[in-house]
Amino acid sequence: MSYIKIDNSKCKSCYLCIDVCPHKLIKKSKIIGKTGEYTVEFEDNENKCIACASCAYMCPDNAICEVYKNE
Amino acid sequence: MLVYRTPKTIKENSTFTFCPGCDHGIAVKLVANVLDELNLRDETIAVASSGCSVFLYNFLDVDCIEAPHGRACAVATGIKRAMRAQKKENFVFTYQGDGDFASIGLGESLHSALRGENITAICINNTNYGMTGGQLGPTTVLGQVTTTSPLGRNKEYHGFPIKTAEHIALSDGTSFSARVALYDIKNIMNAKKIIKKAFEYQKKGLGFAFVEILSSCPTNWKLTPVESHNKIKNELTKIYPLGIFKDVLNE
Repeated sequence: MSYIKIDNSKCKSCYLCIDVCPHKLIKKSKIIGKTGEYTVEFEDNENKCIACASCAYMCPDNAICEVYKNE
Repeated sequence: MLVYRTPKTIKENSTFTFCPGCDHGIAVKLVANVLDELNLRDETIAVASSGCSVFLYNFLDVDCIEAPHGRACAVATGIKRAMRAQKKENFVFTYQGDGDFASIGLGESLHSALRGENITAICINNTNYGMTGGQLGPTTVLGQVTTTSPLGRNKEYHGFPIKTAEHIALSDGTSFSARVALYDIKNIMNAKKIIKKAFEYQKKGLGFAFVEILSSCPTNWKLTPVESHNKIKNELTKIYPLGIFKDVLNE
């Protein structure tokens, strides 16, 4: 199962990752971040993540710090 | 298997001081990524400028110097020449905004290109003076509302915006000049390729290499980050066309 690691302490709630994910696996979480808005979380119940790392390249604040791919 | 991690050149536990959704973060990350790939971290001297890029030395794990406003290319010239006099070949690049490169420091920047200084300059073009509150800058497009042009930029009153990459490409000392954008993943990967090329041209000693990056400024454009990416895609790329304007190895 492929997955990403999100560092919520760095997330500034710009939601560019939600826009860029090809399978729409990233959504707003219930945790309030440093800018006073909801941070993001990764949810992949159907193993749809292809570890393309688009979200990691797009994240302007290094909040998406690691992307793992399952062989 | 790990397919991506934050570049090692970015200091651990450092947080970017840019506004939410600003493309500066993506650009700094791409530069760090390329420095990692070319294994240049130990020999690099980065020159930061005034503007939003002012805290570069807080993020990048390389030797950094803070140039006076607009003088980054002049400082980089001095470093490159002084290190060469000591028989040391260092990698020197500047990271500037459009106000720093194309307005206050236009003389330094253009003459570095005309002299063919062997440095790399990266210019972030967000069409205003971002850090000071979104005033009209040299690259503000016609009709754009800023705090000092509340009725929009008017060609009779304010003049026309400068197309930096084309101007730098005209000088004979330039080895490479290109404009890239960061609004989607295809363009981000292309930007990484172009930055890598500009860095390699300096390593080959070909002369002044320049990359202009079209960047968003959600705070001063008063749009959401996603809307500002759409604005770059639909409006700005028509005024500032993307592409390579000069490439001495491919002419």
